[in-house]
Amino acid sequence: MNGTSAARGVFGAVLILALWEATARGFDLPAYTLPAVTQILAAVWEHRAALQAAALVTGFEAVTGYAIGALAGISMATLLVLARPLRAGVLPLLLAINSVPVVAWSPLVLLWFGVGVSSKIVMVALAVGFTIFLSALAGFDRVDRRSVDLMRSFGAGRLGIFWRLRLPAALPLIAAGLRVATVRSLIVAIVTEMLGAYGGLGWIIYQSVTLIDFVQVWAAILVASALSLAFFGAVGALERRFIFWR
Amino acid sequence: MKPTAMAALRLLGGVILAGLVWEAAVVGFGIRPHLLPRLSDIFAAIALTPGAYWAGLQRSAAETLIGFAAGTAVGIINGLVFFRAPLLRDMLLPVFVVSQTIPVIAFGALVVMWFGNTLMAKAVIAFYLTFFPVTVNTLLGLNSVDPRQAALLRSFGATPMQILFRLQLPMALPQIFVALRLGASLSLVGAIVGEWFGDNTGIGVLLLQAMYNESVVALWAAILCAALLGTGFYALVAWAERRIVFWGAEQ
Repeated sequence: MNGTSAARGVFGAVLILALWEATARGFDLPAYTLPAVTQILAAVWEHRAALQAAALVTGFEAVTGYAIGALAGISMATLLVLARPLRAGVLPLLLAINSVPVVAWSPLVLLWFGVGVSSKIVMVALAVGFTIFLSALAGFDRVDRRSVDLMRSFGAGRLGIFWRLRLPAALPLIAAGLRVATVRSLIVAIVTEMLGAYGGLGWIIYQSVTLIDFVQVWAAILVASALSLAFFGAVGALERRFIFWR
Repeated sequence: MKPTAMAALRLLGGVILAGLVWEAAVVGFGIRPHLLPRLSDIFAAIALTPGAYWAGLQRSAAETLIGFAAGTAVGIINGLVFFRAPLLRDMLLPVFVVSQTIPVIAFGALVVMWFGNTLMAKAVIAFYLTFFPVTVNTLLGLNSVDPRQAALLRSFGATPMQILFRLQLPMALPQIFVALRLGASLSLVGAIVGEWFGDNTGIGVLLLQAMYNESVVALWAAILCAALLGTGFYALVAWAERRIVFWGAEQ
């Protein structure tokens, strides 16, 4: 993106915000239609203590679940690539679990693990794990058949082929999965919190809906978006550092 | 037609086998019904009130399909507009890209508050969850067309419309379908979550009621319904992709 289009992007965002503010103020729209931007920012500032505490809870759930899910997803994909016979048995089972829309597991996980933080971590780990598992598996599988044969003819073992050929080939796809999963981790944490929680941004959103406090819903969404952007940016920065050859 | 029939038969056999393994595992290992009930118990629960499950399935399917169809249409048109109007694209596309990295589903709460607990509210949620990725991918696909090919067509006297429909749109289809497959999953998730804010029918409602009753059997029944709908819808999109993008230009 060059300078002009970046400037246009900033201009577009500012224009949208200005239009939003002008519409809400100019037509004197009630908060349940559209609160003004400044009104939402004021609400964020006013409830900063509660929102910060909630963001910490949600962020903790998302990051912990993300770490567990990423580790589990990559390990599972590695295992299935290295142990071919296992793949025929386990892969259909995993695909069957994945065929259920992930949020449909939330009520069951909530019953199993309780209303506390652990049920959200499990849900995030589930969603992140599958996202990264599928992209890692696709990455490991996309190597050229002939390259594998060539390495084998030079006496490379299964582990050698994995380490020297499959893993480097899969890294860009794994990185893409890791990036997509950041957004998903926060979505799943928030959605599961809406079903039942002791705290967190999703819980604030759900409560504000039942109290019909629109400005508070907007404030919580704003904080959730900022959290998501920060997480996405952090993982993207890490990726640029470690996968330098892209 | 023969290979397709064989594949369908094998799929059916696989599903039946999986069901038998499930039943046998629960009985054999004595898994507590709190974790995993017997498949036959789940079917019995569905058979007890088939009307509720059928109504829920229909309702959620309608919400998802209406939202998905509208999101696809508006997303593609929007992608075309961005393609033709670079100024508009530069101004608005960053907002769209950022929207991919924030939990937009949280806006579902607002949509439900605006539209009430209607079918329309959930369709709107499914709509915007489909609309954003389809717009971005339509533009990506259109931009990936080699300008020399467009120049060649133009030199043969093709009108911009002809270039669009004979070259650019077909070339963009593989990218668009990547977004459609994503949208198929997302729109169903949006519909289910939308129903959690209070409604009378739908798979989300079935899930919520089962949770409040702490009935694991009913919960699994609702999960099976969600899986059926999700898989069916995804398969439909994948089938359409194979038919429309018959040259198989994926990746």
